[in-house]
Amino acid sequence: MSWHPRVFAWLERASDWLNPIVVKEVRQFTGGREFHSSFGVSLMLGLCVAFFGAAEAISATGTPGRWTFGALIGCLAFFGLVVVPLGAFNALRTERLEQTLELITLTTLSTRRVVIGKLLAQGVKLATLFAGLAPFIAMSFLLGGIDFVTILVSMLVLFSWALWVCAVSLFLSSLIKTRAISGLMFGAVGLMFFLVVVILGVPQVLFFVLSRGGVGSTGVSVGFVGGSLPWWVLAMATTFCLVSMMNLVLLAENRLSVPSENRVTPLRVGFAAQFLLLVAWVLSFIGEPVPTRTGAAEALAVLGGLHLALVAMFTVTEDLVLPRRVAMRMQEWSPVRQMLAILSPGGGRGALYVIAQMVILLAAVRILRPSGAGMGFSFAVCGYICFFSGVPVAAFRLLRPAAAAAFQLRVAVLVSLPLVMALPDILYYMLWRPYSFDINFATRHLINPFRTLANWPLVESKNLFAIPVVMGLIGVAAYSIVIGAGLKMTVESAIESSPSAPAREPGRADVY
Amino acid sequence: MSDAMLQLDGLVRHFDNVHAVDDISFSVERGKVLGFIGPNGAGKTTTMRMLATLETPQRGDARIGGYSVLDEPAKVRRITGFMPDSAGVYAHTTVTEYLDFFARAYHLRGAARREAVDSIIEFMGIGDLRDRNVERLSKGLQQRVALGRALVHDPQVLILDEPAANLDPRARIEFRALIRELAADGKTILLSSHILTELAEMCDAIAVIEKGRILATGTVQEILVRMRPRRTLSARFAGPSDGVERFLLEQPGVVNVHEAGGRMRFEFEGDDEAQAALVGRLIAGGFRILEFTAHGADLEDLFIAITKGRVQ
Repeated sequence: MSWHPRVFAWLERASDWLNPIVVKEVRQFTGGREFHSSFGVSLMLGLCVAFFGAAEAISATGTPGRWTFGALIGCLAFFGLVVVPLGAFNALRTERLEQTLELITLTTLSTRRVVIGKLLAQGVKLATLFAGLAPFIAMSFLLGGIDFVTILVSMLVLFSWALWVCAVSLFLSSLIKTRAISGLMFGAVGLMFFLVVVILGVPQVLFFVLSRGGVGSTGVSVGFVGGSLPWWVLAMATTFCLVSMMNLVLLAENRLSVPSENRVTPLRVGFAAQFLLLVAWVLSFIGEPVPTRTGAAEALAVLGGLHLALVAMFTVTEDLVLPRRVAMRMQEWSPVRQMLAILSPGGGRGALYVIAQMVILLAAVRILRPSGAGMGFSFAVCGYICFFSGVPVAAFRLLRPAAAAAFQLRVAVLVSLPLVMALPDILYYMLWRPYSFDINFATRHLINPFRTLANWPLVESKNLFAIPVVMGLIGVAAYSIVIGAGLKMTVESAIESSPSAPAREPGRADVY
Repeated sequence: MSDAMLQLDGLVRHFDNVHAVDDISFSVERGKVLGFIGPNGAGKTTTMRMLATLETPQRGDARIGGYSVLDEPAKVRRITGFMPDSAGVYAHTTVTEYLDFFARAYHLRGAARREAVDSIIEFMGIGDLRDRNVERLSKGLQQRVALGRALVHDPQVLILDEPAANLDPRARIEFRALIRELAADGKTILLSSHILTELAEMCDAIAVIEKGRILATGTVQEILVRMRPRRTLSARFAGPSDGVERFLLEQPGVVNVHEAGGRMRFEFEGDDEAQAALVGRLIAGGFRILEFTAHGADLEDLFIAITKGRVQ
């Protein structure tokens, strides 16, 4: 028996353990022209670059290895950051437009596995392209002028970023449903990626960041020989990419899942995990000197506040009426799972979810600064979040608790921010008509969260707490209203969702 | 005890002010084929999508093989094959790869997966298409592959939305045979179609839906009897038919006797037994019958009579 059939049989057996989407996608792109074309072009470009690199080496001027590697990274960046992500965008777009995604939904594959499978398939594509250019990259090393660590780290960082851009593409692709919009979006995404790579020159930036350890004029090895910077760059890039990729996958899953399913809990778990990671990282400074701890506490208040503001905008605004299937499942929960209800869908539970994380944030800040200094800033961050995300929602839910209006409420929250940023100055100039345009921070700006928080030392020194405290209290009251409305609607949903709800007579029919 | 594989109980689904499905209930026994007919926008597809767990009913529930579509969608999906009205094919994928992918997606592994794909290819009679690109097949052949896809995990219940829409006459005949074979194999089938004559031949029963409500259910004959209690009969006699008209008018249940094209045509109110008795009396009365025909209304007449063509 020759080795070919045995290898194929082994591959066939091994493929049983792979995500079916990866197998399908790899089969599809190896059967299509697009991948063959881009792979062929990348090889041609690699060959040309290697040829010029060799020519420069013969003329013995400059650092041909460094130049060659830079050019090859540029080629890889073009394919990795533009061509492959566009393919990822198109893969999911086609799946939705051709209605094959629905067919997959009917199988035992979960939506998350579908998204992860699509992402992994792009990883296979990228690995193939990188492997195709590997001989030329090896040649750049042999030509001299660049060290192995720089090459390795540059490739790994580029691979991470390329995969991250693919995750962004998949998420963007999951947002659209109609053919016309998806065509427009495809063009816009393509243009955006192209501009990022070509105009902003991301690969060049990457390369120069990595090679700043020792740039030699001629023939000197370039890179961070012996330094730890490249590994830090790699660690930071991969950590950022992995964490945000998890969010992107969860967001895409949320968009692609059947509306009747619980699309919220995975997202809430993912974002809560991210928040807790941030808190854990900041708490790791607990044994450090006071200035370091103070900086860490401030960083937590700002980064955690930003994270919670974004999360609040999407969770508190959720509809209060649950999909029937979700409502039914929640009724069957054990008391232990009931305690995790804040991870379940619904604006009321969303408000509780945000408040729980605010408590963790405040506790972490308090641990870092036992004296209690800086707590006012953290309280103000939380108060403003409650006010701006809670008040429009509470006002609407008091009138129409059962209405499906998540999108409109998110728009309202977003619109209210610029309004309060501009309103104090507009009213001031309209009512008082001052002679000069004064943009300095003043009492009227206390309703603007950004300006107030940016000038917090001034707020503290002048004791201007009244307005932030009142706004915070109103925000907490608004959250209470949303939580109350959510509880009420949950009880009503439970009654409505009962399958034993009586059926009316006209539909009755016999058994056939 | 009923052996209902498919049981709909008061299903309701509204989209804003449109009552797409409004309190639908019926059941289908194991191995039976139920035709689901109705005008466009009647609620057929929404009902089928609820059964396939793609939509959730706002009220009521449906059970497939005993599993609730509301509460146990994963179990329902394992025993249900759904074929929507669009085939849903992939580019750069052969027929074998297409079926193989769905077999993998249903967690079939190793030899079981290969056997499932091979047996579906054989059953569907698409062996010659094995290595053909599924995207380049004709719509009819794509439809056939799509049916294969719905069958690849050996479901007990099949839900087919307009499965014969793109088939040529020959393919339709083959499809009919395929459906009967699947039913004989114990599969329960719910299928919708606009080609009513075919449904009548394929289905054990039909359910007529309009504006989200079931208007009639039963076998075609049962509905026919319910809708039109009188059947139209005609007879041709050897020799002169003098006195036939008078004889017929004297028989119970016979009305509107008239001669048309050398045949006596009349309306008769009664069941099959009464009709047989009438034929017997004609023979006993000395009338030599050459032909005796029942002019039953077909499913199309029935459909027109039942529905009003109202859409929402």
